[in-house]
Formats: sequence, structure tokens, C-alpha cells
Amino acid sequence: MSDLCGNPAAEAGEALIPRKRKFDRSKICVKCKTNPGNLVIRHSVYCRDCFTSLITAKFRQALEPHINHASTGPRRGALNPSGGLLVAFSGGSGSSVLLDLVHRTYCTNVGSDELKGGREHPRKDRVWKRIHVCYVETSDVFPETSDRTARMREAVARYEGCEFIPLRVQDAFDRSWWERVSGDLSVLPVDLCRGEPVPIDALKAHLRALPTATAVLYTLSTLTRLLLLYTAYSIGASHLVLGTSLTSLSISLISSISQGGGFVVPQAIQEEWIPPFIKRIPGATSWSGEVRLIRPLRDVGMKECTAWVWWHQLWVVGKQRIPISEKTIGKITNDFIIGLERDYLSTVSTVVKTVGKLAPKGKPGLRCVLCELPTQQSAQGWKARTSIHAFEDAASPEDVPTPLLAFLCYPCHTTLTSKSSRSSKSRNLKSSSPTSEPSSTLNLPTWGAARLACGIGDEESTSSSANEIWVTKKLDTDLMKSLVGEFMLDER
Amino acid sequence: MVDLKLKIEFGGGLELLFSNRRTHFVDIPSTKQQGDREGEPVDMDFLIHWLRSNSLKERPELFVENETLRPGILVLVNDIDWELEGEGDYRLKDGDEIVFISTLHGG
Repeated sequence: MSDLCGNPAAEAGEALIPRKRKFDRSKICVKCKTNPGNLVIRHSVYCRDCFTSLITAKFRQALEPHINHASTGPRRGALNPSGGLLVAFSGGSGSSVLLDLVHRTYCTNVGSDELKGGREHPRKDRVWKRIHVCYVETSDVFPETSDRTARMREAVARYEGCEFIPLRVQDAFDRSWWERVSGDLSVLPVDLCRGEPVPIDALKAHLRALPTATAVLYTLSTLTRLLLLYTAYSIGASHLVLGTSLTSLSISLISSISQGGGFVVPQAIQEEWIPPFIKRIPGATSWSGEVRLIRPLRDVGMKECTAWVWWHQLWVVGKQRIPISEKTIGKITNDFIIGLERDYLSTVSTVVKTVGKLAPKGKPGLRCVLCELPTQQSAQGWKARTSIHAFEDAASPEDVPTPLLAFLCYPCHTTLTSKSSRSSKSRNLKSSSPTSEPSSTLNLPTWGAARLACGIGDEESTSSSANEIWVTKKLDTDLMKSLVGEFMLDER
Repeated sequence: MVDLKLKIEFGGGLELLFSNRRTHFVDIPSTKQQGDREGEPVDMDFLIHWLRSNSLKERPELFVENETLRPGILVLVNDIDWELEGEGDYRLKDGDEIVFISTLHGG
């Protein structure tokens, strides 16, 4: 009897599923089929030489079809960008690899005899006449961190022909920076009551008003993105490239969606941006100052980036650890995805491919005054109906939504108002209208303040609601009863 | 008992956990000294625990997790991905060069 009813697993010890091999077939390179492999990339084995050509090919495949203003295919000889190139540089491995690849592909090999074609062949021309590298320093926000601008300058100086542009994140609140990048096209209002705020103080006040650590990092990321975009516009760059790897992209997509950014998923992968003060002519085929934000390493995982850094002996300054980052949605998502990737090698690739198929429902409305990404029409109405309110908040007259809310996208609104253990102490979002009381205003970055001052109209929007302002109000009980009275069941 | 001489390199910020030195030359025993597998040749799993016990100076959770190497660390054994060499089961040889690089140092 005991033989029949026994527990075979318990008797034989713990039953373990044998660990699956992480590579297919043999240890020989799948590409050249002669050399022994050095690296496993999602089940495939590559030798060092083939690895280098594989990453270069992936980089070019992701970038070159988007270089011409009107796409003409991936042929290099036909590459003719409308403006310059701005490389976003954070000092991390992704942006270091990106800068190295840009330099190898578009600076070092230019005119090389190894390239096919005669001496005058267009393939041997420089694709980019000017390459700038921009770094945004955030150390003024976090006193525990050190200023690394000098180290970034040193890292960029190793690449001949690249011009370094240092920025500080508080430039987003700096009138002089805004005047430099926008020219005379968009004028900031002068606040005679409060005078000109010091940029870093304005930034710190903005960040202090945010309810969570996640909101602070989201805001810094948004400010950095727009600083880069406006800088690209101001120097005449038609392309802005970011060193977001496949791994980083999958983490940021999941993190963004969890913070309400589902509507702008396409822009999270690739974006075509133009300052709101530039009139875009519908149907125009010529370049009118648009900046194309591209992530050329979106098919290259962090493991490959690390291997590239090691084998090509790149000097990586490294990312600075931000003290508050440990308790954010981004960090939790990062740990989850990286942990999953260990056992399921295609996790990040699956995430990016699946998210890449998503299309937001409905037409975009105005661009958000904070992040300048499209807002979802009627998102505020939807949010007002589904938000959970605590009783004390509901009773507060201060919670009435204000006109600014109509010009914020869902994630920016959530960033400014999301509840947390700290949020009861923090202020609710009040009007940032230039006419509101100074004590109740939220410091806006220069681009947001300029748009509010010049009128909120969005040149791109064709929506009939572009000039409408939606305001939701809490109804009193009697009015509510009168509205739903005819649907109520008789108590008898 | 013969010791194995190994060259260990750290990168991607991991060196900060190991006295801020990128290169370490270590001598480790050639066979396991205790436990169920006493007398067996040492492998990568043994090296990881040996490094944690003997060389790691701070924040062990950034190097080891659940008794194995933390996810997000690329390991090269003599310039070859350790996934090709059996990961933790790779049997160490005298003169091996092992590289640990954190892949999580930013984009």
C-alpha cells in the first residue's frame, strides 16, 4: 500500500526541473560559423568580430531609415539629414556606446577606402556636418551628488569632431536659457510682483510641491527631455538620439504605462517634435525645424552594451545614484524586469515588441503644457469620474479642478496630484494661470509659462475642443437628486 | 593542497564594492574544503561565495542575491560569456581570468 500511495517527490528528494541551456545548438558563432562564440545574445552565440558588426548593423537599421526628412529607404548613399545631430549623453553605458557608434559610423569611417564606391561617391561624404553632445547636470537638486560636468566634457573630448553642450536641469526655469533657445518667437511674461526667480529655487519649489519620489524622477526626466529637444531645435539639429537600450526601453515603457502614460506609448519609442511656437504647414514636405527623437539602441540589450564597453575599452563615467530613486515605481519595475530577464531571456524584447504594437484610442488633443506630449481628449473628465477621493479631500473647497488641469496630460496631472502618505501635507494643484495669486501658483518650466502667456492654442491640434476649457464641479445633493430623480425606484 | 591563481576584474561600478579596485589577483583552494561536496574541484559558484566572504567590502546585496550572482551582472570567463561555460558549474583552472561587469549602470 505504501508503495502505491507514497509521494515520489518527497521520497526522491526535491524534484528539480533541469535548467535549460541559454544558447541554441553549438558554441560556434551563428554568423561566421567558424569562430568559437564569445557572447550569448538571446539564445544565439556570436564571436567578438561578428558581435561588433551585429551591433553596428542594429544601430544603423534603427537610425538610418529615419535620417531623411521624407523616408527613402535605408541606403547610406542617399542619407541627407535636414539639420545637425544632437547626441544625448548621460555618462551611462548606453549613451557611451551610442556616442562611440555615432563617431565610428559617421566620423571615423568617412572617406575610408573600405567603403564601396569611388572617391566622390556620396557614401563617402559626412552624413552629419555637425555633431553636438549634450549633458544635463542634476547635482544642484540633490546635494548628496557631485557635479560631473567636467568628467562628461572629458569623456566627450575623446571623440574628435563632437562639440560638447553642458546644461543644468534648472535651465528649464531660466529665462535667459529660454530666450536663447526660442529667440524672439516666444516671450515669457514678466512677473512684476515677484520679480525674476532664481532658476534653481524655482525648480526646487516645483519639486517640493510634488507628492511622491516617483513624481520627482518623472519630472526630472520630462525636464531633461525637453531641455534636450529645445537645445536640438536651437542649434538646428534635425535629430536627437538617445542611448536608451532595449532593456532600458522596456523598463521605461512599463513604468510609464503604470504611471498613466499609455496614451503616449508611440512617442515613448520615437517622437517627432516641434516647438509649439512654430507654425507647421499642413502637408509641407520641407523641414521646418522639427526634431526627430530616435533611440538607435532600442534593439540592443544592456548586456550587449556592457560587452561593447568592455571589448572596445570605452571609458564610462557611470550613472550617479540618485538618493530618492530606491522607492520609486521606476526602481521597482527595473528590479522586476531584470529579475525576470535572468530566467526568461526574451522578456525585454517581448515587452518592447508588444508595446510597440499598441495604438492609443482616439485622436490626440492639445499638447500638455508640461511635457509637450499629446493629451488624451476628455481624459480629465474620465479621471474626475474614476478618481478615488478621501472624505477630507472631498469636503475641501480647494480640490476644485482649475483651468490648468485641462492642459495637462494624464500622467502629468497624476504626477502633480497623486496621493501618497506625503500628499496630505502637500498642496493640491492650484491654478498656474498668470493672473492667479502668487501664493497659489505652481512654478512652471519656461516653455509652459510661455505657452500660457501667449495663449494655449496648439497649432497642430485640429480638435474642435482645442479652445474649450473643461471644468468639473462637485454637485450639491439636491441638484444631483433632481438630475437622477426620474431613474430612482420608488421606496414603497 | 594546491592553490589556483586567478585574475579577477570588476567593472560597471562593481569595483566600488571591492575596495574600489578594478583588478584583483587572488589565490583560492583548488578543491572545496567543506560541505556535501568536499574534495570536489572549485567552480564559479564557489568563487562567487569566496569573493563575497574574502574580498567584498560593502553592500553584498548588490553582488549576491538568493545565494547566487545578482541578475544584471555580465560574467566573462577568459573573455567568453559564462553562459557558454556552464555558468556556476564552470570548473576553475589555474590562470583563469574572470570579469564581472554590472550591466545596470545607466542608459
